[in-house]
Amino acid sequence: MSDTATAPTAATPAAIPPATCVLISGGSRGLGLSLVHDALANGARVATFARTVTPELEALAAERPDDVFVGSVDITDTKAITTFIKEASAKLGPIDALINNAAIGQDSLHVHTSPERVAQIVTTNLTAPLLLARAFLRHAMAKSGRGRIVMVTSVCAQRGYSGLVTYSATKGGLDSAMRTLAREMHGRFLVNSVAPGFFASEMSSVLGNEQLSTITRRTPSGRLVEPDNITPVVRSLLFDDTNLNGQVITIDGGGSI
Amino acid sequence: MSTLSRDQVRTMMAEVLSAQGKELPADDSASLETIGFRSLDFSELALRVEDEIGDELNFDAPGLRSIETVGDVLDFLDQLQTA
Repeated sequence: MSDTATAPTAATPAAIPPATCVLISGGSRGLGLSLVHDALANGARVATFARTVTPELEALAAERPDDVFVGSVDITDTKAITTFIKEASAKLGPIDALINNAAIGQDSLHVHTSPERVAQIVTTNLTAPLLLARAFLRHAMAKSGRGRIVMVTSVCAQRGYSGLVTYSATKGGLDSAMRTLAREMHGRFLVNSVAPGFFASEMSSVLGNEQLSTITRRTPSGRLVEPDNITPVVRSLLFDDTNLNGQVITIDGGGSI
Repeated sequence: MSTLSRDQVRTMMAEVLSAQGKELPADDSASLETIGFRSLDFSELALRVEDEIGDELNFDAPGLRSIETVGDVLDFLDQLQTA
């Protein structure tokens, strides 16, 4: 029964503990920055990196030097990522959770997207997050042995949106990898995805007003998603004993139902 | 890279429309919405131009969204070829 505390045995392993130190890719602005603030507010330490560290993130790191470790790192630079994890854990302690958030967008029909741009999107949005997850797991398995991973994917992985062919493919790939990783980690790591719908800002700023209003009109809740809608769900995946594993949680106001 | 003249592109645009039983008006200020020239028609035209010049003309969608008239189409393809 869910309301009965059960001592861990061979048959009933202990729940994965709440995150204590979270690695967040792309934490300098938008949803990433909101996730940084939220993890800190819930008592975790945070290591985060982005290609460009914003003044907001710099200020946060200066304000809470014992809890925040920030780096200017390109997610596609595998060597720099490994170094960042080593330096961050040396300062903050073992990292036991990862939010794979960093991504680049797309707004071009597939036939008019150059092969170089396709490769860049795949490298940044799929290859790099897979290698980041690998680097995180190699660190976390050796240190804490257990932990949590949240992939920030997209509703685009589930439904077709014009102009987002490669972007959607990378997000769908990440959802698939998430499920396999959840199985592969055999309960030692809870691995899930959150799949936001279209944000009113940032990534969806490239959409035309007509497209945005069409999406809003077709959303049962009548509003597009904001970062504040995503943080509570990620928070639960990081800190609560939900036993959610290998799932995609779509947060889009019901637009995809 | 060779380039096509505005008139050559205009002829190809007329061919794209003609294949759908539509006509290209002589007036460059004619609205694309009125003549039924849709975004995928623009894609088809761009790909035909690419085929002729032997090079790719890749572009993002936002530039396409500001195109409203026949003249805008010809201007945009002219810019892409000379970029």
